[in-house]
Parts: sequence; C-alpha cells; structure tokens
Amino acid sequence: MSARRVDRDDIFIVGAARTEFGRFDGEDNDLAETAVRGALADCGLSWPDIEFAVGGTNGETKPDNLVSRLGLTGLPFVTVKNGCATGAVALMTARNGLIAEDLDIACVVGYDNHARGAFNVSPARYGLGDWYGSTGMMVTTSYFALKIARYLHEHGIDQRTLGYASAKAFAYSQQHPYAWRRKPVSVDEAMEADMINDPLTRFMFCSPDAGAVSLVLARGSRAYELCETPIRLASVALRGRRPGSFEVFSPWLSPGDRTSPSIDAAKAAFELAGITPAEVQVAQLQDTDSGAEVIHLGETGLVAHGAQEAAYRSGDFDIDGRLPLNTDGGLLANGEPVGASGLRQVHEIVRQLQGRADGQQVPGNPRIGFTHVYGAPGISACTVLINEGAQS
Amino acid sequence: MSIHASIEVVDATLFTSVDPVILAGSLCGACGAHVFPAMDSCPTCSSVEVTRVGLPTEGTVWSWTTQHFAPKPPFRTDEFAPFSIGYVDLGPVIVEGWLVGKTQWSIGERVNLVLAHAWTNEGTPVFTFGFEAVA
Repeated sequence: MSARRVDRDDIFIVGAARTEFGRFDGEDNDLAETAVRGALADCGLSWPDIEFAVGGTNGETKPDNLVSRLGLTGLPFVTVKNGCATGAVALMTARNGLIAEDLDIACVVGYDNHARGAFNVSPARYGLGDWYGSTGMMVTTSYFALKIARYLHEHGIDQRTLGYASAKAFAYSQQHPYAWRRKPVSVDEAMEADMINDPLTRFMFCSPDAGAVSLVLARGSRAYELCETPIRLASVALRGRRPGSFEVFSPWLSPGDRTSPSIDAAKAAFELAGITPAEVQVAQLQDTDSGAEVIHLGETGLVAHGAQEAAYRSGDFDIDGRLPLNTDGGLLANGEPVGASGLRQVHEIVRQLQGRADGQQVPGNPRIGFTHVYGAPGISACTVLINEGAQS
Repeated sequence: MSIHASIEVVDATLFTSVDPVILAGSLCGACGAHVFPAMDSCPTCSSVEVTRVGLPTEGTVWSWTTQHFAPKPPFRTDEFAPFSIGYVDLGPVIVEGWLVGKTQWSIGERVNLVLAHAWTNEGTPVFTFGFEAVA
C-alpha cells in the first residue's frame, strides 16, 4: 500500500465503541455513557481530552447534558436531531467543527431507547391534516411496501429478492456479538412469514430498539499518535429531497422523473472522496426493510438497477463476495435506535477496515468502505471511509 | 362547489365537490405543478401563485399494498379488516388513497375516484376518498 501524505484537515476516526442493541431497561444516558467511555478507552483518551462533542438522539433526553456524567470541562457540545440520518449528521457536524474551530479531537455519540412496535407519529408533526392519520395512511410499513412494490415493478425484479436480503442479514448477525436478532432465517421462511404489508413479511422489517455508539475523531497527523490504524473520513455528504422523490407520509407524488436524496448524497460522497462505487470493498446501507436495501443498492450506484436479484443469488454480498454488505446484520438484525443507527454503520466499517471486526471479518484487508443512511422527511447522508495505511 | 351538508367527510378541504366526488389540489401558476391536498405555496418551485383546482377522477394504480394489521391510533375504524392503499397516477399528479373493493391489485390497473365509508360517528357514516377498479 502506498502511503498517503496526511493533510492538516484530514479527519480520522481513532476510537470506536458500541453497546449491544436490543431491549434496554436502564436510562438512555446509561447507554450513551457506556459508548462514550468505550470509544475513549479504544484510543487511550479521557473525557477532558475532548475539545468538541456532538450528540444525537430522537428521544426526549438532552445529549449535551451528558457532560453531567462525563465531566464539566466546558467544551462546546452540539445536539442534532435528524431522524434516521442523525448519526451521520452528528459525524458531519463533528468533522466540520474540528476544521472550522481549528481543533484536534472530537467525540460523537448517538443513542436511543425506543418503546416496542412501529413508531407512532402525529400528522401535524409532518404538516398533514388529521385525516391522513385517522384513515390509516400514516403508517411507515405501508410506505416501505408501496415504495418497493413500485421499484420491483419498474426494474423487473422478482419478489424473492426480498427474501434473499433478509436471509443475508440474519446469516451475518448470527455471528455478531452486538446484534439484536441472531436467529437464522432462510429465504423460504422470510417469504412465507406473516404478511405485514404486501410484498413485505414479518422478517423483512427492522424494529425500533435501544443502543448507543460513540466515535472519537482526530484531525491531521494527531490521529497517528492516538491510533495504530486510524480510518480517514474521506467524505461525508448530506442531501435533502427534490421534486420527484418518493418519501414517507406523502399524500401525493410528482409524476416526473424519479429522484432520491440517496442518489444525490451518494454521488456527492463519492465525488468528494475521489472514488467510484466500484472501488468500495465493504458497505453499509439503510435497510429499514429488505426492500430499502434493494433500492439503496441501486440508488447509491453500488449495483445497477435491476441487477440486485442476480447479485444476491451469486453471493456478491456475502463475507467473501464482491461487496460484503451490512456485515453486522444491518438494521434488520440490529433494530433501529434512531440516533445510534448511522454511527453503528460507521463503527462496523471502521472495525472491518482495521481488521478487527466484531463479527465476521471481510478477508483480504479491505481499504475502502461506504455508509448510507436515509429517512424521513426525505434526507440521506453517506460517508466514504478509507484505511490509508502507515503515515508518510 | 357543491359540498353536501348531508354527507359527512373526514376533511372537507380535501374536496372541491363531494357529489360528484372531486379532489381539491392546487395548481402552481409559475411552474404548472399540481399537488394534493391543496397548499398555499408550491413545493416544486417555491412560488405562492397557486390556485385551488379539482383533480382528474380517473387514473391507474401506480403502486399498492394491503395493510394486514390495524394501525395504531389516530387510525379510526368501526371494525378492522385488511385494506389496500395505493398511489394512483391521475396524470398531472400521483395521489395516495384507499383502494376499495378488493385486497389484491396490479400496477397499471384502471381505477376511478369514489367516496368510501371510513367510520361511523354517533350513527352518522363518515366518508373518505378512495379508488375502485373500473368495471
């Protein structure tokens, strides 16, 4: 590997830690504190070393009040709340903070502890009339179903592809110590399970749960003093929806060409990092449901639209395949603590690129990883992560 | 406008007319985009030159699903049974609504707008809009 010269404004991940995801009886702050202390220990730092912090949650607690447990050091602590994109937005905010404020060390934490069952949301929160909720349209599972039904139709993809996506997720999670659902599910079991919203069955949805993830970032050559194998955040890009996108809680859609914030965010992240989708060696995509993974493979450019079915069948996304995908079981097996989910993706990629995966390790020393989050009300954020090898 | 006082609907602002049933959208005078329900500004181009218009009442199924479990409140029903929801391509705009009369659909199927019984309020039936297959 040819060494790359470290730039002063390069941002690296030098510490990473996560909790097990699943049901949790304690306080939200217990989860968050565990993750932060884990990430600090991972790179040999303590809280007073942190110069800038960002916390994200979709719940009721205030991340910036974590200082009451971690230490009143007086540091700036920013709170973000961007739904399913919260983790990636927190990471982007920390990166921007280090560069803009001319600082060296930042900590990012994301956490949530959701009640059981699908999210219950009020129409008014999305600017919609009460009729939208009372007539049963304000249901996230029906949105996912409507979106994948159209996508399968447009691209001539067999419904069984959804079963392959589920079976893959649970094959990975069986061997991951922090995943929530670790029981294997076969393609047939996934296809024949109770139908929730045609064409999606019970084994094709993730559920809200609890968990926390924390990362420590370092700027410039400082990263190499703190970590043997720092992982460079080569890019992070956040995009919102444009006319023609198909988002949750939409009483209408534009009939023109289809667009998507995921297409725009992925394109921007690849361009900023100076790499192409074909160069990615391990990836994380938002798989809120099996259909979302299939759609996002196409929208991010990792697989051509319509080629997903063949790729699943030929094992492309398995640990020894062309593009190991959601190697910790993704959202399907980890559930979605909204604030933590995007950082879970980054945590898994960092571990894979460092050669110390918690579950199955991608063989062959992968160098380039990619993450993608997507959620309401039509936002997506993507990152490119690179192991640059030794410092020059 | 012929809102019939005798027909109770989930939200009168969704309709320009209840009998015959016609949905109220808005048309942007600047870019020509249609949206539903009617809004005071255009999300496509940001213009505020929008007017309330009746939308076409016939279209084709653009996507569909059947809801097999009862949604949480605020969903309201007299007695839950699985029901279909779809997006219907009306031409200038694709509208989300109930697909009534059956629970298995095909993309591209022709449908037209109808009133559908949503729930009963102290003995009075309350209607929403839906689409049924063209016979």
